[in-house]
Amino acid sequence: MENTVVQFILDNIFLFLPLAITGIIITLILFFTGKKENISPPEELTSDNKTLFNIRINVYVLVYLFIWIMMIIIGVLSHFLIPTLVGGTIAVIPLIALILIEYTSKKSKVL
Amino acid sequence: MSFIEIHQNFGEHTQFLALFIAVIAIVWITLVYYSYKKYGPKKTIMYFVPIIIATLFIESAGVASGRYYYPGYILYLSVVNGAVPLIILLAWSVNLFLFMNMGRHFISKLYQKQNFLQIIYMSIAAGLFGVCLDLLEDPIAHYNNWWIWTASLQGIKFYEVPILNFIGWFVLIFFMSLATLLIERSRFSENRKVLLSITSISISGTLVFIIHGLIVRLFEFLRLS
Repeated sequence: MENTVVQFILDNIFLFLPLAITGIIITLILFFTGKKENISPPEELTSDNKTLFNIRINVYVLVYLFIWIMMIIIGVLSHFLIPTLVGGTIAVIPLIALILIEYTSKKSKVL
Repeated sequence: MSFIEIHQNFGEHTQFLALFIAVIAIVWITLVYYSYKKYGPKKTIMYFVPIIIATLFIESAGVASGRYYYPGYILYLSVVNGAVPLIILLAWSVNLFLFMNMGRHFISKLYQKQNFLQIIYMSIAAGLFGVCLDLLEDPIAHYNNWWIWTASLQGIKFYEVPILNFIGWFVLIFFMSLATLLIERSRFSENRKVLLSITSISISGTLVFIIHGLIVRLFEFLRLS
């Protein structure tokens, strides 16, 4: 018989509650007893861009693109065409957004 | 039932499972190596280990509740009587690291102020990017039996995948990104940040449970689930 994960956790609350309470107490102790450094942690200054076939591309965009292509290939090979087309179209939105933001920010820097 | 289970029916009743596992393995090794080289071992632990622990509990509860199951893998881990393939947990660590950094990259170009609001925007972007990819991945996974959603599940579905799954993806990636970015930007020592990232799973896990639980109740009230 299936259930929701939330219902499952509620049914087994005596297992999950002690774990959660212990974790929260340890987190609070760590948070309030830790010495804070006076300077803010430096933001990572090194770029996430790499050059591939003379094209500079963000590493995370490249990894996402790889997953996207592999999923499309598997979807097509499975003859699961319409859901692959619909899902593939939605999944390409982050790629377009990241490429567009990169392009517009470069353009504004030049101007 | 033991914590580690080894099955010998690799790929049974599935299609392209080996290819799917190869994709995850390649991406996982690439991103862990990249994170290690760029951020060092402590931050790499902070990015990859907490989400593995969190999803071990969540996925195990999901399998034990009977909503879905994972056939045909070799190595499974189980904490609450629900067996989850190790590769799925590694895939979740890829999800968090990838989407959090995509969100960070995207928002930092739009909103430069380094404040709490920027972290919220980054976490929202990470969650949305994750859902976009899952809308492609989850139907293909279900169709090829990499994981199987129980047919009797009620409610709105996207190619046999319950909509609540995608909401769960957003909520989980949002809160895990939020916790990771907040700890990363705190002024504690590196060692303490690693400890905090692991123990804070209890807080982010509780928030995921409450928010997702409220959404489930809302869906039930609206008769959408």
